[in-house]
Amino acid sequence: MIEFRGVSKTYPGSARPVVKDLSFEVLDGEICVLVGPSGCGKTTSMRMINRLIEPSSGEILIDGEPNTAMSGTKLRRKIGYAIQQIGLFPHRSIADNIATVPQLLDWDKARIKGRVDELLELVGLDPGVYRDRYPAELSGGQQQRVGVARALAADPPIMLMDEPFGAVDPINRSRLQDEFLRIQEEIRKTIVFVTHDIDEAIKMGDRIAILKEGGVLAQYDTPEEILTNPTSDFVTSFVGADRILKRLSLTRVSEMELEPANGSGEGLPTLSDRLTVRDALSALMGAGVGRGVVEGEGGRRLLTMEAIEGLTRGARA
Amino acid sequence: MSEFLDVFRRPDFIPLLVTHIELSVVALLLGVLIALPVALAVNRSPTLSAIAINIGNIGRAVPSLALLALAFPLLGFGFATSLVALTALAIPPILINASTGLRQVSPQVMDAAKGMGLSGAQILGRIQVPIAAPIIFAGIRTSAVQVVASATLATFVGGGALGQLIVLGFQRNQPAIQIAGALAVAVLAIITELLFGFLERAFTPKGLRVARKRRGK
Ligand SMILES: Nc1ncnc2c1ncn2[C@@H]1O[C@H](COP(=O)(O)OP(=O)(O)OP(=O)(O)O)[C@@H](O)[C@H]1O
Ligand SMILES: [Mg+2]
Repeated sequence: MIEFRGVSKTYPGSARPVVKDLSFEVLDGEICVLVGPSGCGKTTSMRMINRLIEPSSGEILIDGEPNTAMSGTKLRRKIGYAIQQIGLFPHRSIADNIATVPQLLDWDKARIKGRVDELLELVGLDPGVYRDRYPAELSGGQQQRVGVARALAADPPIMLMDEPFGAVDPINRSRLQDEFLRIQEEIRKTIVFVTHDIDEAIKMGDRIAILKEGGVLAQYDTPEEILTNPTSDFVTSFVGADRILKRLSLTRVSEMELEPANGSGEGLPTLSDRLTVRDALSALMGAGVGRGVVEGEGGRRLLTMEAIEGLTRGARA
Repeated sequence: MSEFLDVFRRPDFIPLLVTHIELSVVALLLGVLIALPVALAVNRSPTLSAIAINIGNIGRAVPSLALLALAFPLLGFGFATSLVALTALAIPPILINASTGLRQVSPQVMDAAKGMGLSGAQILGRIQVPIAAPIIFAGIRTSAVQVVASATLATFVGGGALGQLIVLGFQRNQPAIQIAGALAVAVLAIITELLFGFLERAFTPKGLRVARKRRGK
């Protein structure tokens, strides 16, 4: 668990803090996304966790211990670190790039080699093909994967990722995001993920910390809560006018509690329960009806407008 | 022609050649031993690096003959005077290239290295030096060629070396000796250039060669 306790940061020579009295907790195994407009202090907040930046006041605890309990370099070897610009070492092979931290930790050669191949597999790069290549021989998306593999190398319980998919085109970004979520299912790391893109935050985050100008925490909650119950005008406008639709994209029809259709489904459109509620709503509206029949593992069930509205109940429209 | 070849058979040719090489090698070595540690030491501070680079640039602007003229009143005639002047000549290109090369490593690479827990010394030794190696070697090559060429002037302060043949030929009005001396220096300079060019390539990490080739395309 990572715990921010009243953390503030004022850069030398600057009058105003860029992070102000930040307090929140990142739970084990969760992805916590820091999101907010440019310059609101996301990167600064993240870099204070592994002490690339020291806070001006307050403290950050990792598993109950202040992160100042050990030296900065020792701390950083225990925390995975991946950044938008990737920063692969151009003179080192892909294998050596990934092996950076294991080498620092003096793992034996066989163990390092095994780990490198395992990680290349994990991020979807064939070890036989890519192990001995150099960064310049990889596409941007492939380098991004290697950056993630490198951050994971010594199996750190915590990962810091600063706009890790920021430099890739939207199609590849979406693929990398999906892949990363699949990997996270397996590895269950505690992740602090920085982005300025609210859609990425909603997709990636188990919990989202929305920061506003001046590094003030505007809201810290699950994506569902932030979309249905934004606590301030700032959050409302930051998440966008389509927040209710975004909320509906977060749930699949199969996850809803619906009445069995029994005989009443006659003449209604049939939908797959794999659809997101948003897509199902779109289909219903397209068909010009207020109800539809969902087919899936739960048998034939009835999807109604009321059931959809139930999902966003409490929303101040 | 035979008159010309005779020059290379003169009893003093080999000793002069040896002195020339000795002078050059020792001056270059001293230059490297002084310039590299300074570049490594100032690397962490942008201000000190800028100062080192500026000193290098000023040093580079001073002609070799002027360096000899400066060293002469202090140290008098002899090998040592030439050596000091040539070492002073060798330092600037190495200092400039090493300081800029080390600082040219991209900030993202530096940030990633630090963020993964490399110590300052590890970042310098494992990341900055290998990435800057081609630039550092290019500086050493420039120095080496300059030193070999300028060692010719050592004869003016009694430092011996192949310049002596050129002066001798001039004094006796024997152009063959003059040309043979000049030719020997030229060949030596070319060999130096080739040798260091080879070293530069040999010490360029493969990943950087690959990157350069890709960029070239
Ligand atoms: N080293 C520094 N010295 C002084 N000011 C800095 C430094 N680093 C960042 N800042 C300032 O602190 C503020 C917050 O920067 P930070 O990089 O944390 O923002 P961010 O939320 O990550 O922004 P972005 O989305 O653009 O990456 C900015 O106004 C920035 O100019
Ligand atoms: Mg940032």
